[in-house]
Amino acid sequence: MTTASLRRTAAETAPALLLQAHGVVKRYGSTTALAGVDVAVAPGEILGLVGHNGAGKSTLMRMLAGRETPDEGTVTWHDGGTWNQRHAEQVGVRMIYQELALCPDLTLAENIALSDRGARGWMWRRTAERHLVETLDRVFPGHGISVVRRTGSLSMAQRQMVEIARAMCTPDLRMLILDEPTESLSIDATRQLYAALRELARAGVGMVLISHRMQEVLAAADRIAVMKDGRIVDIVRAAETSEHALLAAMGGDVHPDTTTVRTGTAMPAPDFASDAELACIDGGGIPFHVRAGEIVGLAGLAGHGQDAMLRRLWSNARGVRTTRRRAYVPGDRQTSGIFPLWNVADNLTVSATRQLSVGGFVSPRRRRALAAQWVDRLRVKGGARAPMTSLSGGNQQKVLVARAFATDSQLVLLDDPFRGVDVKTKNELYALMKIEAGRGRGIVWYSTENTEMSHCDRVYVFRSGRIVSELRGDEITEDRIIADSFGADTATETI
Amino acid sequence: MSITQIALPARGVRVRAAAANGSPALLALGALVVIFILTAMLQPGILSVSGLTLMLMASVPLVLAAQAQMIIMSVGDIDLGVGYLVGLVTVIAATLFIDQPLLGVLMIVGIFVAYAAIAYVVQKRGVPSIIVTLGMSFVWLGIGLQLRPTPGGTTPEWLAAISSWRPTWFPAPLIFIIIATLIGWYITRRTLAGTRMRALGSQAPTLEKAGISLVRVRVSAYLFAALLLTASGLLLASQTWSGDINAASEYTLMTIAAVILGGGNFAGGRALPIGTTLGAVTLGLITVLLSLINIPSSLQSAAQGLIVIAVLAGRILIERFSR
Repeated sequence: MTTASLRRTAAETAPALLLQAHGVVKRYGSTTALAGVDVAVAPGEILGLVGHNGAGKSTLMRMLAGRETPDEGTVTWHDGGTWNQRHAEQVGVRMIYQELALCPDLTLAENIALSDRGARGWMWRRTAERHLVETLDRVFPGHGISVVRRTGSLSMAQRQMVEIARAMCTPDLRMLILDEPTESLSIDATRQLYAALRELARAGVGMVLISHRMQEVLAAADRIAVMKDGRIVDIVRAAETSEHALLAAMGGDVHPDTTTVRTGTAMPAPDFASDAELACIDGGGIPFHVRAGEIVGLAGLAGHGQDAMLRRLWSNARGVRTTRRRAYVPGDRQTSGIFPLWNVADNLTVSATRQLSVGGFVSPRRRRALAAQWVDRLRVKGGARAPMTSLSGGNQQKVLVARAFATDSQLVLLDDPFRGVDVKTKNELYALMKIEAGRGRGIVWYSTENTEMSHCDRVYVFRSGRIVSELRGDEITEDRIIADSFGADTATETI
Repeated sequence: MSITQIALPARGVRVRAAAANGSPALLALGALVVIFILTAMLQPGILSVSGLTLMLMASVPLVLAAQAQMIIMSVGDIDLGVGYLVGLVTVIAATLFIDQPLLGVLMIVGIFVAYAAIAYVVQKRGVPSIIVTLGMSFVWLGIGLQLRPTPGGTTPEWLAAISSWRPTWFPAPLIFIIIATLIGWYITRRTLAGTRMRALGSQAPTLEKAGISLVRVRVSAYLFAALLLTASGLLLASQTWSGDINAASEYTLMTIAAVILGGGNFAGGRALPIGTTLGAVTLGLITVLLSLINIPSSLQSAAQGLIVIAVLAGRILIERFSR
């Protein structure tokens, strides 16, 4: 499908508004996810949607995509009719999911064929391949992805590109809902994606863009809706607002959370040998080492060796010297983080069972006490006995971080744990990390968000699997990290 | 509309990708070659058309049943009723097809209905397939014993004719094995329905988001499996000329072993028809090999099991090294 014909179809039937939601209310049990939302998407506009986790963005999105029906209020497409998944599919509404939405065991083309109505009949596979290659070439020139490969063998960034292409290769695309589309994309691919989105907007496609990256939303969206506690508290034109104003509107505090600091300092005094070398890797350029009481950042472009470094530290690979007790916080909470059938307390204390047990038996009393202490300290909504899956993403992540810090491990490894977590939770967790480092733990923290690195004492910047620089104190700036991860003298622009 | 030249992957890339996707089946191929060579060294007589025919004959129904098991396993389920169902089909073929052909056909239809119902229950009620199919296996056993308490009966002419066809220029079982593999390949790899089945086993929510009915996909998988299992039972009956509910009782575990040997997994999402066939034939050949080296027949199952464990351990080692 070329943009020319898109433009034609859109121009022929362009309504004033594509989709309208009126007074939408949605409750799950006792929690109200949406408390009366009015929002409309016009053709050719990009509507940004920002807010904390738990503000109701995901629910609203599923509502707009027709995947859920509101308890009260209405969602209507411009030509009427009941709004459900089937209707949404027929009129060309597509959604790009944040989580891994492709089947890992199928080839890329087969994955496309699952949702591509054009790929039917005898030549379905060839048609799906053609649609995918066409779209990938158009959106991400130079992507280098082979469509006959098994999806499971692709990197996260490549899978995200395919997921985006899957939605975009719909022949009569009218509306696109994007849920954190750039979380795992490289800077280049992100730029290409936004160029493609602008192209789609010119062709009359309406878009809803959810992202935690304020800069991207500000740059790409026409209007920005700010959500808080299940309501849209503000809709502003992107040109007339700023990152700071948006954060303020969603109630985000950009400063470290003082409450957590206070409850944290009431914790027991340091119980770790201070100033000990916790891990070091020598040889091959810049040596890597972590001392007690340090927060060490691993920065650079996604997939340039930071996660491999964490894996080496975790598995105590050859050439690595580390302490015996280590804790690991995975970034992908859905596949390698939570135990979905367990409650919050069980999830939180599972790593700490060694220190909670007496003669091989876990003491339930001490376990309850530990869980209660951490739930209280991090203010996990729902309490210790809530089922893990009933928590919002941010709260689940809190539990995972607490799981690591509830152990007696002196070295804590964080694998980009704050992806897709709201600003408030992040600030609480930053504060927690500072306190825990102060108690004598060493923290190794891989993050894809360069701004986060300012919380570190030292930062190692990675490029092509190697450490290319070590930054300390005031040297840790976003510009410097970007410059080092691209090569020292390459001028770069932020998106 | 402007048509731009797009670069679809070249043939070489496709072949390499297909080889990479099918690489878990290589182990079954290796095991098959080793066992075949050992058998041929012990008994050179098998290297003739009639020798190969005799040796491969027992594998034909097993290959069909293994393809059925592979389809069930590709949606993430396991069918523990395979053995008695194949046995029941032989009983139906040898008992009802001559006396009451209508009832016989109705019972075959009943099997299909039952399989659709199993799929429905598994999908809708979330009951593990192991439980449902294990329960059903006793139902098959009961019906089979009711129809024919002791082995016997006769199969209709047309059915017996299938297996008595013995061309002198080519081992006939090989043709049946190839056809069975092609059917399994066509269903799981070539059709869109097969792709959906694998998607269901791989990641069901994805399929659901695409607006596809999961019930329909699971039911279709079970129906294809029922079709192959019925074919397997009919072929077994045509080879043995009789019906016996216990004729294939060892198929249940052998088919699962064949799928795993051929590169499949218990989690679902994968279907490797060629690997499955290689696995099934390997298991069949192990039986032949063991009888050639004079292992007491009472110990054959144990020896067979040990060989399977050894081969699977090899697979784990290979996967670890290739990582």
